[in-house]
Amino acid sequence: MNFDVRLVLEVIGMLLYATFMGFIFMGIERKAMARIQRRVGPPIYQPIIDTLKLLGKKESISHGFIYDFGPIFALGASITALLFLPLANFQLFSSNADLIVVAYLLEVPMLGIMLGAMSSGNPYSALGVQRGLLTMVAMQLPYGLAIIAIVQHFGTFKLGEIVALQQVHGWSILVPALLLAMIVFDIVFQAMIGLEPFDIITAPAEISMGPMLEYGGKQAAILFTQHAVQLFAETAFFAILFLGGASNLLELLIKQIAVLFIAIFVASIYPRFTIDQAAKFFWKWPTIIGIIAVLLTV
Amino acid sequence: MINEVPIILFVPIVAGILAWVLDVKGVRELIGLAGAVIPVAYLIKVYPTVADGKSITYALTLGSFNMSFTLNTMTWYFAIIGAVLGLTMALGMVSTAKSGYNWLFALMSFTAVLGVFTAQDFVSFFLFWELMTFASFMMVLKYNRHASLKYFILSVIGAYAMLLGIALVYARTGALDFATISQVFAKDAQLTGLSGMGYHATLTFSRTDMILLFTFFLTAFGVKAGAFPLHVWAPDAYSETDQSYTTFFSGVLSKAGVYGIFYVLLMMMGAKLYFSLGTFHGHPLFLYIIAWIGAITVVVASFLAVLQEDLRKLLAYSSVGQVGYILLAIGTGTALGFSGALFHVLSHAIFKGLFWLVTAAVILRTGKTRFEDFGGLAEKMPITFAMGLVAVLSLAGIPPMAGFASKWLIYEAAIQAHMPLVAGAIFLGSALAFAYVVRFLYSLWFGQRPSDLDDVKEAPAPLLVGMGILGILNIVFGIAPGLVVEYINKLFRKPVITGNYYKMITPNGTYNALSVTLVLIAGIVIAGLLYVYGARARKVPVTDTYQSGNPVTEEYNLSIRRNFYRPLAEALDFWLKYSWDRFYERLGQLSEDFADVLRKSVYNGNVQSYSWYLAIVLLILALWGVL
Repeated sequence: MNFDVRLVLEVIGMLLYATFMGFIFMGIERKAMARIQRRVGPPIYQPIIDTLKLLGKKESISHGFIYDFGPIFALGASITALLFLPLANFQLFSSNADLIVVAYLLEVPMLGIMLGAMSSGNPYSALGVQRGLLTMVAMQLPYGLAIIAIVQHFGTFKLGEIVALQQVHGWSILVPALLLAMIVFDIVFQAMIGLEPFDIITAPAEISMGPMLEYGGKQAAILFTQHAVQLFAETAFFAILFLGGASNLLELLIKQIAVLFIAIFVASIYPRFTIDQAAKFFWKWPTIIGIIAVLLTV
Repeated sequence: MINEVPIILFVPIVAGILAWVLDVKGVRELIGLAGAVIPVAYLIKVYPTVADGKSITYALTLGSFNMSFTLNTMTWYFAIIGAVLGLTMALGMVSTAKSGYNWLFALMSFTAVLGVFTAQDFVSFFLFWELMTFASFMMVLKYNRHASLKYFILSVIGAYAMLLGIALVYARTGALDFATISQVFAKDAQLTGLSGMGYHATLTFSRTDMILLFTFFLTAFGVKAGAFPLHVWAPDAYSETDQSYTTFFSGVLSKAGVYGIFYVLLMMMGAKLYFSLGTFHGHPLFLYIIAWIGAITVVVASFLAVLQEDLRKLLAYSSVGQVGYILLAIGTGTALGFSGALFHVLSHAIFKGLFWLVTAAVILRTGKTRFEDFGGLAEKMPITFAMGLVAVLSLAGIPPMAGFASKWLIYEAAIQAHMPLVAGAIFLGSALAFAYVVRFLYSLWFGQRPSDLDDVKEAPAPLLVGMGILGILNIVFGIAPGLVVEYINKLFRKPVITGNYYKMITPNGTYNALSVTLVLIAGIVIAGLLYVYGARARKVPVTDTYQSGNPVTEEYNLSIRRNFYRPLAEALDFWLKYSWDRFYERLGQLSEDFADVLRKSVYNGNVQSYSWYLAIVLLILALWGVL
């Protein structure tokens, strides 16, 4: 690795941009959801205010070292995942790791949050951990199939090459098999960013935010930031895999917001699944569609 | 010059016998430890020789059999894994083994495994294989008779299958040494290939022979590796023994099965099997079968691991599942897949070895095994917990750990080999792995601590040293996977995976472990700065939590201990009705009942009825003779 100044500046700039946009995405999510439900909703910069307020709290509590380390590890892992994506014309570190690594890195933050939640000793958090992992077990098979379909079609694991190939041959979703893969991925995506019908992990009305329950003050601020970065990274991941990537940040932003709005519309229509319903659902239709997609791309 | 091979092979068993004979506390530990250190030291000493591609052979004549053992590039790789795990096992046993009996059989299986890995003919291979089974059986027998018998019966089935296979090979070739047999198979494979093109040749092995050989050897090695549906012995046997020994049992003995599949089925007969059995959708059929066995093993064992209520059972099922990954990678049939399999042999050995040592420490200190009895141990055993966390990260495949590097290779291999459904099984398997390691973390280390665990102490020093060795290896091979990959490339005599110490480059993918590590550290530092910026945190106990305005008294343990993954069990209730284990148990029960009926009705101890049987048999013989 070369530690050139340009790369460092790009990384810092991208981190600031992604964090800011991530917070705006969270704001859009709340605002759009409110408008669909005919409420006024908060301003779209509200999450930033919330986070700053939490960070400025005079006191926070801690249940021990792992309790503090969990959110920090989660944010660190989200940042890592972000920096290995080729974001528009910024390649960052993306030539150093491929699709499989990024797909894994996107799941690591979950482990950090779980780690912190488990060490808090709160039974609701433990329930949230259980639900989170079971959702992951449920969604992983269709998710994997969608990724396999992409790789088989393009014949490469490198995200940069996948983007380049799409820019030559058109977006992935123009290929019928990959359109199926996209449908599967989009269903899974709903669970990845924790929206209905798969917001089983946090389920505010049942287990009062699950893993995040015990957190307040600066740890909660870190978790909010982590969610913002993660949201940005995951929407970008979607755009890279299926929507042809982007040649500049504005194009990427438009695609990310499009992805986000689909997720919001789905979320505001459907109620929450219970965890065993979610598992049965994921192992039925998304899996079948996913299998068709991978068999078409062999 | 002294030949290193016999020293490496026989020092452990001699040390084991000495430890057993002397059986003085303190002395037996020293002898046992020495017996485990010496093979490691000698294996490291011969590294330059084998890395050059040379081999060291040792021949032994026993009666009319010539036995030979070789350390070469291939066998050294397996032997060093075995030896390092053996060393950590010995370190663990210093703390956990209470008698010379344990030392004798643990070190006997150490010798046996090294013998299996280095054997160059079927006589010594089979002898050491049986010694390995016997020694590990004795280790289980002491703790649980039922589990040991289950292990024994399946092992006997495997041994018979192997014996039949060896007999068939011997009948056709007249040879028992691997070199000759390999030559015969290679030549025969060429002829089979030619006869496929219309050229007539007399073949040594027919198609039927090859199907039989494949079945026999796959059964034999599948039992030891714990492949579905022959895995049922593993969960019981792995859990019902000294947990320090399980480090070796699950980390290395299961690899003997993998080694057998690798060496006998692939390197010796691979080409012939390919030509005789043909292909299925472009994949060699025999490898395709192995890949699917691997995939099913991964999924079934991982699901069962998630639903276990006993710490040892969870890890045992997980071991079975991880060996499934290795089989699956072999089944892809590409050089990349073989590299992934070999790497996973190493990384599974080191992370699962670490898991078992952690388990040994926990069981030693608490005397409990079920999840419902644990909790909050992280404060009491911080170093053990840190090591457990390393093992968890490695098993769950979190970059940059050794477990991720090898799993990454398996992913790439399976997807590139165009086995999408098999690759899908890996995705599912690793999510399940995530789920069960979190169960391990939550139940043992976090949450409220039951009051009877309040005076638990940190694990004893030898165990910590053993854990330390494996923990460091997990991190080193994770950040520098090139160390392993470079050696594996030597086996193929060509660079399958290029790159440098930190970077692995396959034809279509890259993984730079060092850059991932550095970026992850940088990310954690950034997050840490945010944390430091905030106000100081006040420490509160785990009992002081939000409980929806319904505070319960502190005596009430709020941690979820039982049926943690109950919704999954509910989602799977249809599938959980079927169990191979119960099927075998029922089969066993049936044959026992049948024997009972026989004993009561036929062998009733009445002399008169015995004379009647004799008369009837004679009559039948007479009639047969007349006809």
